[in-house]
Amino acid sequence: MLRNQGIAALCLSIAACAQPPVIDIEMKRIEGPMPTDLSGSWERNYARDDDVNAVLRDAYNKLVRTSTDRQPMGAGVPMPSAKDMSSVLALGRLAELITRPDVLIISQNEHEISIEREDDFAMLCAFYDGVAKDTQNNYGVEICGWDGQQLVSNLVLPDGLQVTHRFTVSEDGEQLRVVTTVSSNTSRVPFSLRRFYTKFVRPPSEMNCVETFSMKRVCDTAEIKR
Amino acid sequence: MRFLVPHIVVLLLLISGQDAHSTTLNVSIAVFDPGVPADQSLHRAQQVFPRVREIEAMFLPFVLHDKLAGTREWGAVRVVPQPDVAAELLISGTIVRSNGEILELNIRAVDASGRVWFDKVFAGLVMNQTLYTDIAESLRIARSQLNDKALTDIVEISLLRYANQLAPSAFGSYLNEADDGTFTIIRLPAKNDPMLDRIDRIRRTEYVITDTVDAQFQELHTEIASIYQLWREYRRKVIKYQAEDDRRAQNTSSNAPRGSYEAMKNQYDNYKFVRITAQEQNRLVVAFYNEVGPTVDAVEVRIAELETWVDQRYAEWHRLLEELFEVETSTD
Repeated sequence: MLRNQGIAALCLSIAACAQPPVIDIEMKRIEGPMPTDLSGSWERNYARDDDVNAVLRDAYNKLVRTSTDRQPMGAGVPMPSAKDMSSVLALGRLAELITRPDVLIISQNEHEISIEREDDFAMLCAFYDGVAKDTQNNYGVEICGWDGQQLVSNLVLPDGLQVTHRFTVSEDGEQLRVVTTVSSNTSRVPFSLRRFYTKFVRPPSEMNCVETFSMKRVCDTAEIKR
Repeated sequence: MRFLVPHIVVLLLLISGQDAHSTTLNVSIAVFDPGVPADQSLHRAQQVFPRVREIEAMFLPFVLHDKLAGTREWGAVRVVPQPDVAAELLISGTIVRSNGEILELNIRAVDASGRVWFDKVFAGLVMNQTLYTDIAESLRIARSQLNDKALTDIVEISLLRYANQLAPSAFGSYLNEADDGTFTIIRLPAKNDPMLDRIDRIRRTEYVITDTVDAQFQELHTEIASIYQLWREYRRKVIKYQAEDDRRAQNTSSNAPRGSYEAMKNQYDNYKFVRITAQEQNRLVVAFYNEVGPTVDAVEVRIAELETWVDQRYAEWHRLLEELFEVETSTD
């Protein structure tokens, strides 16, 4: 009950709820198996990553352009407001923080995709009966969808703050591109960062470990069946 | 001499207690229905952990078993893997809620005549045993409303239903089944009926196996009790934490200016920490199962072996009894 009230209140406070959703009804539906297999261990390819400063410059230019559109004729050189700049900088910092993990561990089964990241929660995409199911708590709602072969994860937080990740796997299945977009009602332009990952095989551990409840992690050099 | 008096009084009380129930009923407690929603997408939201529920479905009946056996008001109390419709008193249950703090069980008690003693939800704090005391008390009250004749009928119907399953040709005409599923005795076989004697001996053999199965459940209970206690303690803390978090969610807001990095990070972190807590919970479910799983698997294998043995013998007994009846009643 409290959770439902919380989510309702969250939606009321999120102007984005009234905006076209990032993930529409069509994207939430899948027929048959998931369109792409993202499973595996992926390590960051820094060489191909977007440069945050370059993206910030692009965002600034976009603000300038949109300021021109909004400014009356003959008003001089258009300049984005300090508030605009501050907002886009905040989005950029958050995007940079969220996209910091070096490694993604993606597990995928018939119904769910879990994307584990260091120092962050594992993104969860659940599809049951061919329909995406959201994950929600008092603070936000997370839902996924498929845009063709691309997996799209959208997190909606209060004040219209949204974090969207778009995952694309290369044809040979060895490269992964993740475009992370952070947007907010407080900023006229969103902020997007591209991160690239290369698939790798984790070397088998010399220790066989199993998590137990009362003894925590129990490791052995001998083979453990469970 | 004066030291003997209290013992004699206790003995007399015990004897008088037994006299109060001249017909004691044997009780079969079937392994509970784990109560896991069929819609898997609901599990996470409802915090239902199917593997843990399956273990609880085997574990909790034994707690009730101990409670009932401890009252000394019943005959043999057994935990059985499958509901036995011919049981003198069959208790079946469904786990409605089990979150470490509150346990809710839907308990149905039906005697061999098909009379439903009750079918209701019992709820209580996990920490104390009031829920099981309530169930035991409800059973006692339900039984106290039956007179000796009704109790004797239950025992006889139980045997006749069992006999009917094994040798329907010989015992198909002793009971009447009403539309509502209740059974009444039409007539009774002769006391010295050789077929009934065979049935009685077979049932005693089956009871020995059932007691062995019951011992397996007892072993399971003993082996995982301490870990299960830890699990409940952990779940209780999670529930407490979640309640605090719900309150915090309503009362706290960041002082950072709207649209600032600090405000946005605060919003992201709030979501993140709740999700990480949920993930940790899922990890511990796996850890719990890793620890108790081997015991549960071993017990399940042993019970399956015993059940297979009984099923095979049951088919054999069924065939032999039908043949015997044919021979004994043949006019040729």
